Amino acid sequence: MTGQRDRTPALIRIEDVHRRYPNGVEALRGVSLVAHEGEVVCIIGPSGSGKSTLLRCVNGLEPIDRGRILLGDREVRAKSREAREIRRQIGMVFQSFELFPHMTALANVGEGPRTVLRMPRADVELRSRALLAKVGLADKADTLPAQLSGGQQQRVAIARALAMQPRAMLFDEATSALDPETVGDVLNVMQQLAREGMTMLVVTHEMAFARDVADWVAVMENGQVLEEGTPSNIFGAPRLARTREFLLRVEHAPARAARGAEE
Amino acid sequence: MFYWPAFFEAFPALLPGLLVTIELTVLVMPCALIVALVLALGRLYAPRPLARIATGWVEFWRATPLLLQLYWLYYVMPSETGILLPGFATVAFGLVCNVSAFLSENFRAGIASIRPGQRHAGLALGMSERQAFFRIVVPQAWSRVMPETASMWVELFKETSLVSTLAVADLTYQALALRTANYRTLEVLTALALSYLVLAYPQAKFCDWLYRRHRIRE
Repeated sequence: MTGQRDRTPALIRIEDVHRRYPNGVEALRGVSLVAHEGEVVCIIGPSGSGKSTLLRCVNGLEPIDRGRILLGDREVRAKSREAREIRRQIGMVFQSFELFPHMTALANVGEGPRTVLRMPRADVELRSRALLAKVGLADKADTLPAQLSGGQQQRVAIARALAMQPRAMLFDEATSALDPETVGDVLNVMQQLAREGMTMLVVTHEMAFARDVADWVAVMENGQVLEEGTPSNIFGAPRLARTREFLLRVEHAPARAARGAEE
Repeated sequence: MFYWPAFFEAFPALLPGLLVTIELTVLVMPCALIVALVLALGRLYAPRPLARIATGWVEFWRATPLLLQLYWLYYVMPSETGILLPGFATVAFGLVCNVSAFLSENFRAGIASIRPGQRHAGLALGMSERQAFFRIVVPQAWSRVMPETASMWVELFKETSLVSTLAVADLTYQALALRTANYRTLEVLTALALSYLVLAYPQAKFCDWLYRRHRIRE
């Protein structure tokens, strides 16, 4: 089953990761997952299953209690000096965009190269403009985040992460906070990135995206990976009853919501 | 009857006091800003015991009257601790303590109001904690605390009048002295009010302008 996957080396390797919050909640209970170079790995599962925590651990924003996480051959450790170095190599996109509201779109994209890479001003500008054009927002360079729609903000946030020329990208429910009509623009940008061979770890509720774009899908529940496999396996012939249940719930959720609105 | 000559003659007499008032404000505010920032950072990021001490210090200065604080420093501190400062330095010290306590609470709340995701976004780009703090958190917090800080400045300018009770020859002190000399209470106090107004109003307007310029829409 994994024969096809092994053609490229593993870039992100998550091995038996545990994470317990200070309040005692066990967010991750022994998660193992691998993303090979150039692969799109989608992580799906109900809310509170630990998907977002896992992503935050991958770039060292949160410490782990047990296990290890590797980027290439380097171990990710929160709060270490190397954590900064590793975060430079991993781009992250947040559910709530987290654009810097006091900077224009262009300055947001340039902030990493300028502050972290200390690139010359002209190069920063060149790179930032190119990236804004790539996400279809060349004309919004001088606009402040507050004047952009959610979808536009998220595309700027993707450009901002790409400006560091990361080896991998993490997407934490990048489209969950968006109006339905702007979701497509963001997914298109993500799909384009996937086609260009970016390694991506994508936490999402967009089942269609996972089915069409992912190379590998992991289903999480209760801080564990329930089941993983190719999209056709997971969506076509899920092994576990729990996975089937979850997929059924997700499929029927919009219909149920619509019914609820009518009543 | 408003006796205009007494009104106009009051201004030259008030001038030396005015200089003292301005001096006091201009000296106290920058010091208070720095102390306030240190206190706010201490309360937010220092180890528990230190943060507690900073909080206690701030609450003490916030919860007692300024006039009492100045009296205590002026009359009690020299006799009880042997620290004898000139009057001006004593009241300046008291004002710095008082104003910085209020400002630090303002700063602390401002910094705490920036959601953690902003810091994370900075860190995720590979910034150090320090870079994320100064490039991402501080500019946003500043725009939020700006109006309050500006009004503290104008407030301070007026509150310095309390020091006149402690033989510091500020604007109010000079006016009260002049009144005792010529008994023209109406004219002298009107001149005093006008002096404060003419100086405070442009400051208030300037603060409004600064705020509009630095406001961040979210």
